[in-house]
Amino acid sequence: MSEGQEKTDLDLVRGIKAGDSQAFEEMVQRYHGRVYSLSYGVLRNAEDAEEATQDAFLTLYRKIGTFDESKKFFSWFYRVALNTAYSRARRRPSLPTVAIEDYLPRFQSDGHLAAEFPDGGIPVDDEASLRELASRAEGFISELPPAYRDVIWMNDVEQMSATEIADVLEISIPAFKSRLHRARLYVRQRLSEITGPPARVAAEAAR
Amino acid sequence: MSDDAENPCGPTPGTGKHDALTCQRLILECLLDYESGAMAEDERRQLDRHLAACPPCGQFLTSYRATGKTLQMLKPSDVPPALASAVVAFVRSRSRKP
Repeated sequence: MSEGQEKTDLDLVRGIKAGDSQAFEEMVQRYHGRVYSLSYGVLRNAEDAEEATQDAFLTLYRKIGTFDESKKFFSWFYRVALNTAYSRARRRPSLPTVAIEDYLPRFQSDGHLAAEFPDGGIPVDDEASLRELASRAEGFISELPPAYRDVIWMNDVEQMSATEIADVLEISIPAFKSRLHRARLYVRQRLSEITGPPARVAAEAAR
Repeated sequence: MSDDAENPCGPTPGTGKHDALTCQRLILECLLDYESGAMAEDERRQLDRHLAACPPCGQFLTSYRATGKTLQMLKPSDVPPALASAVVAFVRSRSRKP
């Protein structure tokens, strides 16, 4: 490699296959942050996410020989990392997840949204309340079933593209969009519940 | 998307016509594309007309947008500073190389 020219993922993969320890270290430098963040999204705990990151790179090192060089390395390794985080998650008591269908908007039989729409506005005008809401939103994301949680986490937190996410999760683009939208509808519903106008809800309840 | 069959907001395949746009279809099937700008102009206009005439959907859109704005505040968690060297040391300890 000429000086100043960054090695591609494939250069590093070939280096690791050939036993080049510097190539492995470069791969760690390149991806450890993203693998950690992905693991954190699944495990919600810094210590577990660190250990999952170490395990993911150990698997990378041991299984690199099975990587098909005609495929995208990034997608392959992200799948490895996701599976590693999930196998760690299975070893501890599982947290309850919600039934997402219970939180989707309800419609009348003719397909119209109920006129008495009890939501409040979600206040996003000042920085402090936005920050507070974002922290609540992160908690709501963690309650989602994994199929939805992974998609919204990769899209909205990791800022991965639709194609990348569909590739890693081995799902179609329409399936990706459907899951992302439903996950956002869930978060919207929960945010509305905590910011909604209690007076109106209370008035309706008292009717 | 190029394939209309995969686009619930596009015309019904083979007919070139749009199904009636109910609140349910707008909210469950069309809102993501509407907000991301990935929607043909005639479909967008159809949604605009519905939104202008339907206050509950307009209100729903406002809160959906607020949710999007909230989610934009989320950032990947801070990576522990010594993690890269810990990973390399861990893999070394579990294998002869690297």
